Amino acid sequence: MEPQQPTFDGPPLSLEEELAAAKAEPEPKPSIETVNESLKDGLNRCPKCGSTDVRLRGSTGMLVCLFCRNEWQEARVEEEFGLGEGIEELEGTVIASGAENIVADVADQLTFKCEACGAEVVVDTAHALNARCHWCRHTLNVNQQIPNGAVPDAVLPFHLTKEQAVEKIREFASKRRLFAHGRFKKEFVPENVLGVYLPYLVIDARADAKYWGKGEVQTRRWTEKKGDDTVTYYAADVYQVARQVNFTVDDLTIEGSAERMDFGSENTNNIVNAILPFDTKNAVKWNASYLVGFTSEKRDLNVDALHPVLEDQLLSIGRSQVHASLARFGRGVRWEQEQIDVGGSRWVSMYLPVWLYSYRQESNGLLHYIAVNARTGETMGSIPVSQPKLLLAAFTVGTFLEGIAGAILVATA
Amino acid sequence: MTADLIVQAADDGVLWLLAAGPAGAAATYWAFYRYYRNTDKSHHFERDTIISPQPVQGGEEKIDHISRTRDSDIDGDNSRKFRERVQRIR
Repeated sequence: MEPQQPTFDGPPLSLEEELAAAKAEPEPKPSIETVNESLKDGLNRCPKCGSTDVRLRGSTGMLVCLFCRNEWQEARVEEEFGLGEGIEELEGTVIASGAENIVADVADQLTFKCEACGAEVVVDTAHALNARCHWCRHTLNVNQQIPNGAVPDAVLPFHLTKEQAVEKIREFASKRRLFAHGRFKKEFVPENVLGVYLPYLVIDARADAKYWGKGEVQTRRWTEKKGDDTVTYYAADVYQVARQVNFTVDDLTIEGSAERMDFGSENTNNIVNAILPFDTKNAVKWNASYLVGFTSEKRDLNVDALHPVLEDQLLSIGRSQVHASLARFGRGVRWEQEQIDVGGSRWVSMYLPVWLYSYRQESNGLLHYIAVNARTGETMGSIPVSQPKLLLAAFTVGTFLEGIAGAILVATA
Repeated sequence: MTADLIVQAADDGVLWLLAAGPAGAAATYWAFYRYYRNTDKSHHFERDTIISPQPVQGGEEKIDHISRTRDSDIDGDNSRKFRERVQRIR
């Protein structure tokens, strides 16, 4: 009988390689593991009856089983993972598992084996994170943190119902009817609003900001006669000013999609940004059943790419914090240099709920939004303007004012 | 001659009064455009985020004196423009 051969697992490593492998640090793991273990098989069952026909009830923010009407909720991530605590002690970059880097070579299409009947169901994770098994009607959810960054750590459930959102959008648009583009008015159907979960990174951070610049204090003010006129002159002391502030921020929210965070005059992305903030403290542990009936957008920005954005925002926050200490510089302060030292940051990837009404203006290809924060109801939008109407109004006002000016001139002449 | 007239007119404040029409038209256009398009709106993270600051530290040192100027304020005051970035010290 042949002696048992060991399994061949590649050519043997050299001694140096063996030593290097033994000494190497273990692969860095996410600091906060947010995987929802109870949903690993892709089936999210009602804890009472076991049905997978689960949906979000908007009015309560709870999951409801459509079979037995049982209602329940996932745990709040705030308490579950201790977010919002210990921001003062944060060191380095702490990343939750759902905010890990997006692996570029992972395809969006995932195949699930339905645990109920064995059929294979494909989920296109770029557009949806759940699908129905076409054989047994079970709802399959992408619940595991797959390495393409599609699944966030937490989700903030929709609270405003579609009817309420339609009402908000109608109200917003009706206040802006007069100069609205004629075609927009004709094609305005607020019922076409879509519930979308947009990807955000929610960050707690500890920072030390320093600023240097010049400040001026007025010491004298006097007037001199120059011909028939009087001219005011000033004297001032110039100071070199330095300020430093240490601070922590809790739940700073930054767009996780490159397309959404591109704020330029060529788009209207600022509209979606303007409906922030959300009550992110109420976000719950990931469960894709919260997404049934809504669409979602995938995060495509990694923590590394967003570090400069975070630093920028922290610098702005620091500036606003030191502003009150500049009261004695009556002639103002001109900051010339600044420095930010981010002592520690904690990143959590979150889906936040937005009701979006979008309209593409044919004439210039601009995509206009009316967005409703589905938690607070805050509404902001961009309405296509009819330039001829607006110019006519401006011209009318101008002519009217000019008429008054003329009348005054005639009266005083 | 014309220049003299204009100077005279300016002295009388007539030019300012005549500018009311174009200025009013531009202001109307701008105000309505902004109300419809909201191009200036964004999230005020400086105000709407939970921020816990330590007391502000720092100092100031007098380095110069301006004895006579017609400027009523400092050049390039950016103390309120929190988002306007200046030179970054690394």
